[in-house]
Amino acid sequence: MDWAAILYLGVTFGLFAIFVAIVIHTCRDKHKETGEAPKYTMLEDD
Amino acid sequence: MEKPVYNTDIVRSFVHWSLLWGLVAILVGVIVSLQMVEPDLNFPPYLTFGRLRPIHTNAGIYGWGVGVIFATFIYMVQRLCKTPLWSNKLAKFQLWFFNATIIASAITLLLGYTTSKEYHEMEWPIDVMVVILWVVFAVNILMTILKRQEEQMYISLWYMMAALVGVAILYLVNAAALPVSLFKSYSAYAGTNDANVHWWFGHNAVAMALTAPPLAMFYYFLPKTTGVPIYSHRLSIIAFWSLIFMYLWTGAHHLLWTPVPDWVQTLAMAFSVMLIAPSWGSVFNGYLSMNGQWHQMKENYLVKFLIIGLTFYGLQTLQGPMQAIRSFSAFIHYTDWVPAHIHMGTMGWVSMISYASIYYLVPRIYGRELYSVPLANMHFWLTLVGQLVWSISLWVAGVLQAGMWNATNSDGSLTYTFMETMVEMYPYWWARAAGGFIFFLGIIIFIYNLFMTVRKGKDVVAPIVTAAGRN
Repeated sequence: MDWAAILYLGVTFGLFAIFVAIVIHTCRDKHKETGEAPKYTMLEDD
Repeated sequence: MEKPVYNTDIVRSFVHWSLLWGLVAILVGVIVSLQMVEPDLNFPPYLTFGRLRPIHTNAGIYGWGVGVIFATFIYMVQRLCKTPLWSNKLAKFQLWFFNATIIASAITLLLGYTTSKEYHEMEWPIDVMVVILWVVFAVNILMTILKRQEEQMYISLWYMMAALVGVAILYLVNAAALPVSLFKSYSAYAGTNDANVHWWFGHNAVAMALTAPPLAMFYYFLPKTTGVPIYSHRLSIIAFWSLIFMYLWTGAHHLLWTPVPDWVQTLAMAFSVMLIAPSWGSVFNGYLSMNGQWHQMKENYLVKFLIIGLTFYGLQTLQGPMQAIRSFSAFIHYTDWVPAHIHMGTMGWVSMISYASIYYLVPRIYGRELYSVPLANMHFWLTLVGQLVWSISLWVAGVLQAGMWNATNSDGSLTYTFMETMVEMYPYWWARAAGGFIFFLGIIIFIYNLFMTVRKGKDVVAPIVTAAGRN
C-alpha cells in the first residue's frame, strides 16, 4: 500500500466518522426540540 | 421587527426565461424523437439529430432546470432567512448572463462546436461563462444565508448549499481542458481517467442539479401548500447528509464492464445500492407529511404535482441502483431502457416539482389568483400520461432490444443483425414521440394558464413589494 492509498483510505474513514457524528448528534433526544423547530418556523407568514 | 423587503422582480424574470427555455427544450425533444423515426426530418448540417440532441438536453438541464433553480432559490432563500437578497445588482447581472450563456451554447452547438462529452458538450469559452454565472449566483445566495435573521436553518437551505458547492466542484473538475483554438479544446484527462472523471461529473450533476434542488423545492413548497409541517426535520437532515456522503462515489456505475478498474466499479455499485436509503428517507418523509392530508390529493392541484413528482423520485431511486448492479447493467446498458430511466427523472420528478413550484410562485409574486384550476389539472394529467407513455414504451423497447442483441444460434452466431433490431424499435419510437407530444401539450397549457393569470387573473392580495433591497 503506497502513501496515496493510505491517504485515500484515511480521508474515507475521516468522512465516515464525520457522517456518523452528524447522525448521532441529530438523533440525540436532547436535540429533538431544536432539531424539529425549523419545520414550524418556515410555516410562519412570509 | 420591521418586515424585510424581498426582491420578487428577479424571481419573475427567472420564471419567464426558464419557461421559454423549457418550451424550447421540450419542443426540440419532440423534434429529435421524430427524427429517429422519420430520417427525412434531418436537415443537414445544422438541423440534424446529432446537433439538435445536445440542444434538447442542455436547454432542458441548463435552461429549464437551472432557470427554475435560480427563480426558486432566490424566492426561498429570502423567506427562509427572513432577509432580503444580498445583492440585487448581482442578481440582475446573473439574469442576463444566464440568457447570454444559454444563447451562446445553442448557437455553438448548432454550429457543431462540441467537446463530445455528454451533458457537458459546450466548448471552453462557454465553460468560462458557466463558471462566472454559477459563482455570481452562489456568492449571492451564500451571502444571503450568512446574514440571515433565522438562527436555525431549514432543510431546504442545506440542499441549496449542497447544490451550489457541488455543481461548482463538478463543473470545474470536468471542464479542465487545454484550449487549442477559440472553439476547440482537448480534455486534461486521457483514456479511462477521462471517462471516469466525466461520469463522476455526469452522475453527480444529476445529484447536485436535478436531485438536491428539487428536494429543496419539495421540502419548501409541500408544507407551504398543505399548511402543515413536514413529518420530521431531523429525518430530513439525516437523509441529506447520507445523500451527500454516498452520492459522490457512484458515477462509475455508468462504466460497468469497461476498462475502468474493477474495484472502482464495485465501489460505485455498492454506494449506488446504499443510496436507496437516503433517497427513500426523503420519500417516506414526504408521504408521512401527508398524514391526515391525503384528501388534498383530490382537492389541491399543487399537492398532486408534488406527491406524484415525489413518487417518480422514489421509483427513479429504486430503478437506478438496480441498473447499477453488474448483471442487470450487462443486459440493459446501451439499450433504450436507459433514456426511459432518465426521462422518468426529468419529466416525472424534476418537471413535476418545477411545475408545482412555479404554480405556487406566480400567483404570489403577481398577487393574482390562478386563472384556471381545471387547466392546471389538465396540465397535470397530460404531464403524467405523456411521461408514462414515454418511459413505458422505451422500457419495453429496451428489454426487446437487449433480448435481440443477446440472442444466439446453436453455433454461437448472432440470431439478429443490428439492422433487424433497429427495425423492431420503430413502433416504440413512435410511441415515445407521441408521449413527448402529449407532454409538450401540457407545457403549452401551463404557459397559457400562467400568461392568463398575469393578464386576467383576479387580484386577491396586494402584490408583494418589489422594491430593491440592499445592494
